[in-house]
Amino acid sequence: MQVKEIVRLSFESLLSQKLRTALTILGMVIGVGAIVLLVSVGQGAKNYVTSEFEGLGTNLIIVQPGKSDRKTHLGPPVGAAQRKMTTADVQAIEKRALNLEAVSGLVLGTVSVRYEDALANITVFGTNEQFPHILNIKVGRGEYFSREEDEYGRRVVVLGQNVATELFGDADPVGLSVKLNESEYRIVGVLAPMGNKLGLDFDELGFIPTEAALKLFNDDKLFGIRAKASSRVGMDDAVAEMTEILKERRDGEEDFTIMTQISMMESMNTILSMLTYVLAAIAAISMVVGGIGIMNIMWVTVVERTQEIGIRRAVGARRVDIMKQLLAEAISLSVLGGLVGVGGAVLITYGLYFAFPYFDMRAPMWIVLPAFFLAVFVGVAFGVGPAWRASRIEILDALRYE
Amino acid sequence: MALISIEGLDKVFRRGDEEIHAIRSMSLSIEPGEFISITGPSGSGKSTLLYILGLLDKPTNGRYLLQGTPVENLSDTERAQLRNKFMGFVFQSFHLLPRATALRNVMMPLVYAGTYEAALPEAEQRARAADALTMVGLENRMNHLPNELSGGQRQRVAIARAIVNRPKLLFADEPTGNLDSKSGKEIITLFDRLNAEGVTIIMVSHDPAIAGHAHRTLSLRDGELVEDRRAS
Repeated sequence: MQVKEIVRLSFESLLSQKLRTALTILGMVIGVGAIVLLVSVGQGAKNYVTSEFEGLGTNLIIVQPGKSDRKTHLGPPVGAAQRKMTTADVQAIEKRALNLEAVSGLVLGTVSVRYEDALANITVFGTNEQFPHILNIKVGRGEYFSREEDEYGRRVVVLGQNVATELFGDADPVGLSVKLNESEYRIVGVLAPMGNKLGLDFDELGFIPTEAALKLFNDDKLFGIRAKASSRVGMDDAVAEMTEILKERRDGEEDFTIMTQISMMESMNTILSMLTYVLAAIAAISMVVGGIGIMNIMWVTVVERTQEIGIRRAVGARRVDIMKQLLAEAISLSVLGGLVGVGGAVLITYGLYFAFPYFDMRAPMWIVLPAFFLAVFVGVAFGVGPAWRASRIEILDALRYE
Repeated sequence: MALISIEGLDKVFRRGDEEIHAIRSMSLSIEPGEFISITGPSGSGKSTLLYILGLLDKPTNGRYLLQGTPVENLSDTERAQLRNKFMGFVFQSFHLLPRATALRNVMMPLVYAGTYEAALPEAEQRARAADALTMVGLENRMNHLPNELSGGQRQRVAIARAIVNRPKLLFADEPTGNLDSKSGKEIITLFDRLNAEGVTIIMVSHDPAIAGHAHRTLSLRDGELVEDRRAS
């Protein structure tokens, strides 16, 4: 029997019971749809993380004191270092590294900032004048502090957008003085609105020279070093160079960890991928349930059509023809379910993308086709049993079946 | 060579612990072109014999030669092919597909014929099926569903389906059993015509008026052939 005839028969049979067909494929629709949706959300999260990392400035290099035992891209435990990391390290790197565009030390601390009666608690970054360059920070009013101000540890501060608004309202605070804890600082600049970058709200920060920060927090070591490679391809060279310089300054001991923005991004992506696959695997279970639904209805079909099977065999259908016919019906059901499920999920992801353009979770092509073929495979796998059973019925038993 | 030849044929059904001998060591032979009726009381094994001869059932013991070929050696596919091309079957309760039109029902054997030889184009299949329906006088009912047809008309559709592949052999199991006498006569007239065209017909019937059309009558009782009578 030709394929065309088989397909015609199976669609005729499915169309004759529209409601039943619709309910049968529902399980498959949900299963396939869930796979495509979850993978799309996972992919969207990856895209989101990637764009966040890139927003931090490309070619970012992060140096943290302490060496993690295991190879990781997420950094050593804080405070694990034996040897201090100092501004001298930063200066050495700045002098000798050829592949860096900018490098700065980083000191972190929390302070209260006060202007007249207004008071706020903020996180302060102690950096040098190159820091805005490394993290793509834009200054809105005034300027970032200068190299000279950094070198002499002048008490100057650059405020994040929200901090400035909170203390001064709409007034221009540049040139005015605020108190950080008990010390008087002159405001030299206010950042342009930056928003969140990887969970860090730049609008809520303050920036002061490294030396000033060390004094303010009564400390003598850096939290870490941040640098920017001059090019993406020069990234590995820059890392090697910095490792070399820092090791030399530590009697050859590598008690620090260098991470790049790329490697961190890759680590995050690995985690998100794992998460996506686990979710997709869970969704695949619901697809199996859909397959069982199809198998169930195929058993019913075999029983209902026993007489038809007998008639067909009596006029010359081989066992294999009966098998093909019922298998075609199971496959039609799963193809239909797969199409509706994949199509529905793709539509939903595109709809969500248009509603929330910053979170691009449009279904990636690499999941659409496999999800569809998995649906077809499940249809075949669960259709074989009933189809085989139908083909084994003896003709007379089938003809006499009421 | 005989068209059909059986020797020592047995058919035993098992129902629980009980063994039922539907046919006991039966032997007979049938020549091409015969019109045979098989009669006997119910339970005499006449339908069982017909189904075995029509390759819808298998004997428990004995030999069945169809045109000299032992049937027991045939594969399932070869038996299906013989049912499709070499013989046709007409049942008491018609056995039409309820959701298919008369034309589609008649086309069905042609569709399956496509698995054994080059398939006819669909237009040709339609034309052949329409010819068969015309031959049984249903040229105006081709696109009707079985439940839109009378019993006699349904049985004529079934006959058209049985002969659409131009078989040498036509089996009929009480073909008029569910019909009024007028429709029954039409059916039997059709059989006469087909037989005159050379189709061998083997029919089970307990209606003497119908059985009387046959040229040879086999009488069965308790699974044994008790009389083999030829009309003079």
